[in-house]
Amino acid sequence: MRALVIDDSRAMRRIVSGILEGFGYETQQAGHGREGLDVLDGGWIPELVCVDWNMPVMDGLQFVSAVRANPAWRSVTIMMVTSESEHGQIVRALAAGAHEYVIKPFTADAIRDKLALLGLLPEGAAL
Amino acid sequence: MTTFEDTGERRRRTDRMPVITELLDEATLGGIVEEAWLALVGDEEFLVPSLGGPVSDAVSSWVEVVGPWTGSVVLTCARPTAEELARCLLKEHAPPVLDAEDVEDALGELANVVGGNVKGILPGPSVLGLPQVGAAPGAGAPDDTCRLHLLWRGRALTISAQGSPGGVPSAT
Repeated sequence: MRALVIDDSRAMRRIVSGILEGFGYETQQAGHGREGLDVLDGGWIPELVCVDWNMPVMDGLQFVSAVRANPAWRSVTIMMVTSESEHGQIVRALAAGAHEYVIKPFTADAIRDKLALLGLLPEGAAL
Repeated sequence: MTTFEDTGERRRRTDRMPVITELLDEATLGGIVEEAWLALVGDEEFLVPSLGGPVSDAVSSWVEVVGPWTGSVVLTCARPTAEELARCLLKEHAPPVLDAEDVEDALGELANVVGGNVKGILPGPSVLGLPQVGAAPGAGAPDDTCRLHLLWRGRALTISAQGSPGGVPSAT
């Protein structure tokens, strides 16, 4: 399975990618929403996108809206991984088309639980 | 003739902005920081209150919050402490050699996570800025500052939610 990790923090990209690779994912990284769209435009279509909210150039909410506006990317599951913890922001993200929402700080267990809920925990990944 | 009733819901120019100490106490800020520390730095990494004092060769990371309360959430420590924090944050994902960008990025992300969770408990919608790293931004009035002096692995660090001078965010 493939996952695209979009975060302007290099550290956070490495952490989230490392967790997903530990579950058996093949990952790519992007530093903001526009870079993430470039990856999809290039034909690398992942099952999962983990995207931060606050980023330069194109933020996570704009990215979610752009992905949802393209029928070719309908199969992509989007999980927001962000320090935005206001209830209103969570509602906005889900209304825009995100499937799940993880608030930073998170643990690998929290990511694993969300993937299990989404049916995106690869076979063989420890429960 | 149409008349408009003043419901009092609109903010008046004379309304006083709340100060952070009316919205956030040290125990709450400490809880947010502790949760971030355990999840990001390590589940056996503890923070101990300290009396504070000057930090030599200090570096700060911060995020601005703009809303009913406007200010910054700031993390300050010595550069060697920041390097050690970055290595802990990245754990096995750390490159063999950390460059300055790795360290600043990790320190900024810590401020971002703490700031985002501080924002989450403030009343009303607020906007969170992108993390910045450098010399700490100026603080507002003393009663508009909630500050924790802490020790991590015996190293001093300070975390504060501090109002902006004049109640407006600094230029970014």
